[in-house]
Amino acid sequence: MASMIIETAGLTKSYGEIRALKPLDLTVPEGEWLSVMGHSGSGKSTLLNLVGGLDRPTAGMLKVGGEDLLGRDEDGLARFRREFVGIIFQQHHLIPYLNALENVMLAQYFHSVPDEAEARSALERVGLGHRLKNRPGELSGGEQQRVCIARAIINSPRLLLGDEPTGNLDHGSTTMVLELLRELRVEERFTIIMVTHNQEVAAWGDRTIYLDDGVLVREEKKLVEG
Amino acid sequence: MQFVFKLIPQLIAWTIMVLLLLRGIPGRRRGVSLWAAGGFTMGVVGYALLARLASGTVPLGIIRCAVGGSFFLLWVVAVAAVYRSTVRDFPLVRVERFVESPFCAWGGGAIVGMVAGGISASLFPGSESGTVRFLVFSTLALAGVLLVVVARKVEWRLAPSIGVTPSSLPAVLVALLLFSSSSSLVLDLFSPLSMKVMKGTHDFVHQFMESILIPDHIFIRPAIWGYIGFLFGKEVGFWGGMVIWFFPVILISLAIYLEPLPSVAQIRQGAQRRRLLAAAISKKRRTLVIPAIALAALAGAAYRSSFPNVEYWDPKPLSVTATPAGELFIPRKGEVDLEDGRLHKYLYKQGGKEVRFFVLMTPAGKLTVVLDACAICKPDGYGQTEGMVLCYYCKTLIPLDTVGKPGGCNPVPVSFLEREDGVRLDALTLVNSWNRTVQTTTKSSGEGK
Repeated sequence: MASMIIETAGLTKSYGEIRALKPLDLTVPEGEWLSVMGHSGSGKSTLLNLVGGLDRPTAGMLKVGGEDLLGRDEDGLARFRREFVGIIFQQHHLIPYLNALENVMLAQYFHSVPDEAEARSALERVGLGHRLKNRPGELSGGEQQRVCIARAIINSPRLLLGDEPTGNLDHGSTTMVLELLRELRVEERFTIIMVTHNQEVAAWGDRTIYLDDGVLVREEKKLVEG
Repeated sequence: MQFVFKLIPQLIAWTIMVLLLLRGIPGRRRGVSLWAAGGFTMGVVGYALLARLASGTVPLGIIRCAVGGSFFLLWVVAVAAVYRSTVRDFPLVRVERFVESPFCAWGGGAIVGMVAGGISASLFPGSESGTVRFLVFSTLALAGVLLVVVARKVEWRLAPSIGVTPSSLPAVLVALLLFSSSSSLVLDLFSPLSMKVMKGTHDFVHQFMESILIPDHIFIRPAIWGYIGFLFGKEVGFWGGMVIWFFPVILISLAIYLEPLPSVAQIRQGAQRRRLLAAAISKKRRTLVIPAIALAALAGAAYRSSFPNVEYWDPKPLSVTATPAGELFIPRKGEVDLEDGRLHKYLYKQGGKEVRFFVLMTPAGKLTVVLDACAICKPDGYGQTEGMVLCYYCKTLIPLDTVGKPGGCNPVPVSFLEREDGVRLDALTLVNSWNRTVQTTTKSSGEGK
């Protein structure tokens, strides 16, 4: 039986009077690809921010990698994000005046020390070996998202979080990015939690959970083929 | 009260020394604490006994030798550290084992304690009564022991990441001892060091001149003499002294910087490999904190040496005139009392020239007359303090007993006749002696020799 990388019990997040996430019990086994679906404002991104250590819950228990995140101070959370999590956003958040290689090396710098050869290799793995010196503005949306994937995996995270990573990509680029994630998950053995509005994209995961108004309302497991 | 104010920096330095000893030899905290506390007490008691039994200069001489010897050892450690950082198969484990050994750890703690205790005790003025001395020295020893306890408590709270390497530990200890000893004019080592450099340079250039490698001929233009004259200035001594003063710690910092990073080539995962490298680099940077403290302590010592917090007896020269026979007469008991053991300065003017000299009764009870200038330095004159006269130019301390003897930085003696009512000296001889001395010492640039 796979160990659980994420365990929550009664996890709640409120912003003032608004309860973005109502008590949520969730477990995610190590190595799973979990898709999170729901309407806007259903609490998907809030859940992602909490498990990624970007935000703190209002109440409840949250264990990631067997460790209680609530017990960590700001430095501890920063260390957790640096060493444990890789995040891919819809808007890429690449530094516009750095080229692709430098954007990946920046993540190495904040993690430990930059290593150009390793960053170059990561970009080659995502098929951008020929675009190393191009700045984000000179890359297509799909290429930019692949730079983000290289940046997210460069520090060997155990947990890869995607917040609508294919939200603004065309069909071809979306497939390319998802295939890439599937390959990398096999090679790097990380867990993926991906927030999406798209049923087709969600279907790439092993399991899909549906949130509505901060409540987990439904769960679907992918049937194993054959 | 002044003693207490002088003592505060010493005791702070002592606490830091113990703290770093404990951090540098973590395996033997208890033993190091006990031996350091015992050493400090022994230093205070030893100084008190020696000062009572022997001449006042003997215990100070011992402390001076100990501090000077430790500085010499620091040079050896620094050179060895640089050698080790460049030779990969140097048996570092043996060095670390030696530092951790009871002999080195306890002995080091005791010696550092003794020297620090001796320096602190030496600041107490010797004129106080026996009971007061006993009370002061007992309190001082107790304070030293209490500060060891304080240092232990602080060390527990100190960030574990601040490490002290086997080479940076002696660097910071010696630097703090030098800082402590700089509080006393007699124990200070920076001024004598810069003076030695100045005189060494001076003698070296003279040797060149005498061997005619730099011919002392009229065809050498004044501008060239200006450059040669610069070599005789105290600035050369000061900066040369600074190099010798700081260089061992800089070498140790360099050795830490050059220390090779651990090999991580065998680690497959890039992030883990980089994390190990980052940790090693970060550790190396934190290790440099200790040499930085040592440099700060050395800078403090050099500053205190250059600007000592001492009041000098430096009376305004009294004007004297010659009799028609060309004789100067200084009465024994006149405007001043020549027998009060203090130097008394006089000014004689002749033909637009001013000659300064002073009269002093030495501790042996002998009156002596000397120029307010020496044969080496620019004639900045002398001041009197703590049983010594001090050359303002090169900061050399001259015991009162030796005033009147020629040579080195001693004030140039003047021939005179001692009478019952005072001293008499020949004005012409005095002027000639002054001219000869000052001409020599300000020959080239006017900046001094």
